[in-house]
Amino acid sequence: MLFQTWTFAAFFLLFYPVYLAVKDTRLRLPWLLLASYVFYGWWNPLYLLLLLYTTTADYLAVVAMSRSRRKLPWLTVSIISDLGLLGFFKYGAFVASNLNLLLSSLRVPYEIPAPGILLPVGISFFVFQSMTYTIDYYRGQVAREPNFLRYAAFVAMFPQLLSGPIERARNILPQLRQAPAISRQDVADGCSLFIVGLFKKVALADYLAVYVDQVYGAPGQFEAPALLLASFAYAWQIYFDFSGYTDMARGAARMLGIRLMLNFNNPYLADGLGDFWRRWHISLSTWFRDYVYIPLGGSRRGELATYRNMCLTMVISGLWHGALWTFVIWGALHALGRVMTRALEASPFYRNRVPRPAKQLMTFCFVTFAWIFFRAESFADARLIVSRIAEFGTADPRCPLLLLALVCTVWGYQFAYESRLRNVLAWAPVRMGIVVLMVFYIVVFAMSGVRGFIYFQF
Amino acid sequence: MKETVAKKPASADPRDIAFSSNEVRLSVRSWGVALLLIAGLSWAVPAVWKRIEPFRPGPDYRIPFSLGSDYWMYDRYCHIACADDRTLLIGDSVIWGHYVAAEETLSHYLNAAVGGPKFVNLGVDGIHPIAMSGLLECYGKPVVAKRVILQCNLLWMSSPRHDLQTDKAFSFNHPDLVPQFYPRIPCYAEPLSARLGIVMGRHVPLLQWTNHLRLAYFQNSDLPSWTIEHPYEDPLRAVTLELPSANEPPSPKPIAKPWTKAGIAQLSPEWVELDGSLQWQFFRRAVEILRLRGNQVFVLVGPFNEHMLDQPSRRVYEERKRGVEKWLDQEHLPHFAPPALPSECYADASHPLAQGYAKLARQLLENKSLKRLTK
Repeated sequence: MLFQTWTFAAFFLLFYPVYLAVKDTRLRLPWLLLASYVFYGWWNPLYLLLLLYTTTADYLAVVAMSRSRRKLPWLTVSIISDLGLLGFFKYGAFVASNLNLLLSSLRVPYEIPAPGILLPVGISFFVFQSMTYTIDYYRGQVAREPNFLRYAAFVAMFPQLLSGPIERARNILPQLRQAPAISRQDVADGCSLFIVGLFKKVALADYLAVYVDQVYGAPGQFEAPALLLASFAYAWQIYFDFSGYTDMARGAARMLGIRLMLNFNNPYLADGLGDFWRRWHISLSTWFRDYVYIPLGGSRRGELATYRNMCLTMVISGLWHGALWTFVIWGALHALGRVMTRALEASPFYRNRVPRPAKQLMTFCFVTFAWIFFRAESFADARLIVSRIAEFGTADPRCPLLLLALVCTVWGYQFAYESRLRNVLAWAPVRMGIVVLMVFYIVVFAMSGVRGFIYFQF
Repeated sequence: MKETVAKKPASADPRDIAFSSNEVRLSVRSWGVALLLIAGLSWAVPAVWKRIEPFRPGPDYRIPFSLGSDYWMYDRYCHIACADDRTLLIGDSVIWGHYVAAEETLSHYLNAAVGGPKFVNLGVDGIHPIAMSGLLECYGKPVVAKRVILQCNLLWMSSPRHDLQTDKAFSFNHPDLVPQFYPRIPCYAEPLSARLGIVMGRHVPLLQWTNHLRLAYFQNSDLPSWTIEHPYEDPLRAVTLELPSANEPPSPKPIAKPWTKAGIAQLSPEWVELDGSLQWQFFRRAVEILRLRGNQVFVLVGPFNEHMLDQPSRRVYEERKRGVEKWLDQEHLPHFAPPALPSECYADASHPLAQGYAKLARQLLENKSLKRLTK
């Protein structure tokens, strides 16, 4: 079920009044859980088995840890179970195809059959979210949850189940323990977040996607101007698509009285790569920081180890996005960029002498360059795109002016939001006007079809 | 990357979590005002548009082919058509005039015969009875206490496919007008979300108006798709306020010549039983809707090209026609099932050519029931 469909509207209209009626009773969690399973099972009810398996396995692992003097074996079992599930469903085909390449290069007459399974939507998100419970329990950062239903509701909670934010057990479980106090302002806030997310997705991301798909679908037919514009367009598309989803998820959750973490903070205003990763997909970057980078040693073991840990974390983060070498390269590019700019970003010259707009522009250009590898259908396509951009062709890019105007308006809005003009934007009539315009635009001018979210594939 | 391992919950108090990075946060009261504004705009924009966009249908006007799915326009045309004391002709492409110009349709010849604009062409190309019932129910509300000639085309019952009864899904005309949930249309396979969207569209004038803009000015594209095709054009300039002409030919352009010269073979349709026919069920529903609104309904059964049928099929056709007439008699509905026109007057199984319409108009005007109705 997609947030931007009438099906979701009908689902929420059926679900929400009942939720409000039972929120102070024992029926709240079963109702939330049932609704979440309906929401997830809408694609394929069979996938519910995976969700149920992850939930049960991690819950039981913590029960076992709590009853055993040695916690580590149970944590290991839980992590192997989670990563095994992810590995099989997400990376099975990737591993098989790479092993087959290796076998054929070694002239071994054997081919490993690829598991012909469709990737269950959102698997990377709910598996990672569930892992926060077992790992945090092991670290003593979260108490054991005595109620299985509550834990299941935490893993499956429908607003953020499919594409995050990847929440922490220590943030959500306490919220699920008590009856939510949902004020009228919470509902208003939820609607505010949801409408912004809907606008980002339907009016902007889906529009950008049409141009990007056209160019990236056949990069050989386009020259530098179109390829450059499509690459910048993709940078905005993925931002609007993913942050739009997050806004809608946070809005829906807020209406349920649950506060989800901030996942995007105007990432394209970042003035360095470090800053970018503090603003982009915050829930994932902090997940990798807490559960990969720091356990690897973080920056405690000298400069070389720090850079090694940084690179490993970035490459794993790239692989998390998908079982393709292009994602790995994307992660490696960010690792390289971070390694090269870490010292520079910390230097007084960069901090004090380089104008902020220049830093923002450089960061944005680098991030966009890395997106080329993320978006391209294959490594060969990515190489072709980069080489054709470098040829400086001058063919007409045929990029709609309206599209550029919309993106510039939003970018301008973000700049204004981080400037003194923020007070003007905070004025109630201006906000109301923006909301009315967004709704009007969505209804009248937006794309007529329904597109899925980019991050669902991860 | 920061390196502080939070021993305490990072956000122990969920109230501390930031609202948004670029918030457009409204208070409850502001939301109330915004919703009122949105509701007002939804109502006002289409209403004001009717004053801005010139629309003065002449006596031979028919909904242009490219606006066949523009039901907002149909509703607008109904309002104008019903403002005068005229008889409305409602039906599919036979009434609309698929093979002929706007000045060669049935309504034109009827008007010519009576010497004035007494008949209005409210036909829609490709509209089958199931869709027609939906059209009248949702967009034909201005048709109240009028004289209506409703066409019954038995072609729509000539096979399970025409009757939309096949289990295999296929795309058919005017899906937005068929029942989205009940009764179930077996060959209709639209996802739930799209069905809910269609139901919403029937009740929100702004959505209908949006569809009108797309059909009338943007070649049936939404704005983003249109700008991809016309990247440097100003979309506002595309809104010329000039509606397509009623004489705009259908696409692909039909060749107006007798079926015998077009190389069309004889037919042997798999007629469906009237009792089990969805199209027949909805034709009756269309009659009911019109009668409940106080209209005087006259049913025109045909004109079907019986020459195209082989002998066994023709017998079944006659049987179905008698079944239809029997029901019309039971319901005390005046009706006329004209004899088949000469073979050369048909372009295909049901569409007459210009001379066919002229003959049909004469036959109709001689019908006593119709005379009583139009007196």
